Amino acid sequence: MSAHSQPLLQVDGLSVEMDVAAGQLRAVSDVSFEVGSGRTFCLVGESGCGKTMTSLALMQLLPRKARLSARRILFEGRDLARMPPREVARLRGDRMGMIFQDPMTALNPVYTIGDQLAEVYVRHRRASRKQARERAVELLERVGIMSAGQRLAQYPHQLSGGLRQRVMIAMTLMCEPSLVIADEPTTALDVTVQVQILQLLKKLQAEMGMAIILITHNLGVVARMADDVAVMYGGRIVESGSPAQVFGRASHPYTRGLMACMPTRGEAGPGQRLGSIPGTVPSLVGELQGCAFRNRCAHAGDDCGHGVIAMRDAGGGHHYRCVLAAGAESGRHAVQEALQ
Amino acid sequence: MNTVSLDTARPAVAAGKAPVLSVEHLCKTYPVGGGLFKAPRPLRAVDDVCLTVQRGETLGIVGESGSGKTTLSWMMLGLLRPSSGEMAVEGRPIASFDRLEIARKIQPIFQDPYSSLNPRQTIGEIVGAPLAVHRVGDAAQRARLVREIMDKVGLPARFAHAYPSQMSGGQRQRVAIARALVLKPEIVVCDEPTSALDVSVQAQILNLLKDLRQELGLTYVFVSHDLGVVEYISDRVAVMYMGRVVETGKASRLMSAPRHPYTQALMGSILTPDPALGLPELHLGRGFPDPLNAPSGCHHHPRCPEAPDICRTTAPSQRHDEQGMVECHLRGGAPAQVISWKTGT
Repeated sequence: MSAHSQPLLQVDGLSVEMDVAAGQLRAVSDVSFEVGSGRTFCLVGESGCGKTMTSLALMQLLPRKARLSARRILFEGRDLARMPPREVARLRGDRMGMIFQDPMTALNPVYTIGDQLAEVYVRHRRASRKQARERAVELLERVGIMSAGQRLAQYPHQLSGGLRQRVMIAMTLMCEPSLVIADEPTTALDVTVQVQILQLLKKLQAEMGMAIILITHNLGVVARMADDVAVMYGGRIVESGSPAQVFGRASHPYTRGLMACMPTRGEAGPGQRLGSIPGTVPSLVGELQGCAFRNRCAHAGDDCGHGVIAMRDAGGGHHYRCVLAAGAESGRHAVQEALQ
Repeated sequence: MNTVSLDTARPAVAAGKAPVLSVEHLCKTYPVGGGLFKAPRPLRAVDDVCLTVQRGETLGIVGESGSGKTTLSWMMLGLLRPSSGEMAVEGRPIASFDRLEIARKIQPIFQDPYSSLNPRQTIGEIVGAPLAVHRVGDAAQRARLVREIMDKVGLPARFAHAYPSQMSGGQRQRVAIARALVLKPEIVVCDEPTSALDVSVQAQILNLLKDLRQELGLTYVFVSHDLGVVEYISDRVAVMYMGRVVETGKASRLMSAPRHPYTQALMGSILTPDPALGLPELHLGRGFPDPLNAPSGCHHHPRCPEAPDICRTTAPSQRHDEQGMVECHLRGGAPAQVISWKTGT
């Protein structure tokens, strides 16, 4: 990312808070990252870690009861955090697009594919219906849909899951955004279709040069897609770096635990057990002290319970949020051995 | 002789190795569409499936959505009546069991622990319900059995008075497991039991299922689209495509040396967390074919990278050998009878 003087997106100190019955829930705490143009940035974590809230905050599509705060969110040189909602709405769908997990619920069931694709273009580009339809056919062909002209008259329920996701991608790309946020775009799909959709995203990225923020819980997808990775836990980024750094030299105990949970090919003998992380994700309601992972961490000590744990620099753009340098070191070797 | 019982299509004949569950030429056809003057069209959800499961074994069933794996598992549970074909539990035809009897032998674990548990019942009531239905013991004995099984699946006793809404996904799936095991069944049919769970919780549940199999001598039929999970838990795997079982074999062999082109594509689509590797090239045509207009010949030929002409016209026959079964023209289309004549008793 250092090669680019000005990254496409610069998120600095993003927090999202919500009032719930039990008190104040901190869904996202002080998250900072950068995405260079044309790069793929992956946010990875389990449900409740704040990855979806982070993406909704960027698009300013947060639920009504959520409050966003940030030092700044610079997108194409403008600060989204200080921008009036109507201005952000003008960027949404035009300069930045979003691909949702479930295309069945993201697409409107009572409008045809053609109407929905054209709407984006008509709204942002003030194009005529005819121009918009031509553009829609062009995009459907680009995402690999055969006989695109006929598809325009179809409704979402007439398409398979993989086709629907292709339509969703086509819709997102109608105005050639510079940033696409894809929230679990392949989770609802079959494994073979997943590979095809990921290949499509890579191909389109190479052709159109958009940056992708890919949000997923699937470490395999991250490893094969990402230029940069951030692992989230308890609303914070706990480790970040290149895939080679985060997967090859995992330094946060949570990242290492996640890696151990993955069934490895060829190591599934009858006596083999998966590594697992004991316990469950902590509640994010109220004031959190110390490391959110400490109750599930095998190495946790007294230092883990106080204040905010700072990010440590592991060199070469690799950072992790853990006070246990020594413990991390020994565990890191264990993971490397397990991987080899 | 063991190699014969490993095979799936023929009933194991070796002495003392009668399969705990066997399925022969099982079909399920749904009528689709139709109207006053229009005959409905048949959709073959499960098409001539033959499988056997040995006691203590885990049979994994993999396939894409629409391949018929859930329909097959529902028939195994007695929730759906087959259109034709035979099913036997411990050598007894399934039709000769009544509902309660079959429930004592086979129990389900479903995918979504949010919809498979009654939100208005406490965990104790949910887990104890099968005992009450089957009139096992008195209330005190039932409470003791519930406590025991909750302890086995790692649920603290205090949860007996909690409601499903107060629990996490992993804990709910433990409740579903406890409910399935409280009657001490022989066979547990697990339909995507971990796909609604996070990675770290999935690992906990898979380890638990593996431990319980050992401890209670269970037999699993494990349906999943996640091949990594299936390899981890299964001894043997059956691959389904458009209602048919196209390949079976030992899990390790199927993963390391898949034979059917479709199995090869499935295995190729496993994304291991290895940043040095890019996205795999699947050589698989786009889209799942329409089951209402099943392709002629081999159902897989429109997506198959190597299909010669014969695949378009003639359905392949099954080939059985010591590695399992494969249904493909390219992988030795020797008629099944010849093979079974050679390897038969």
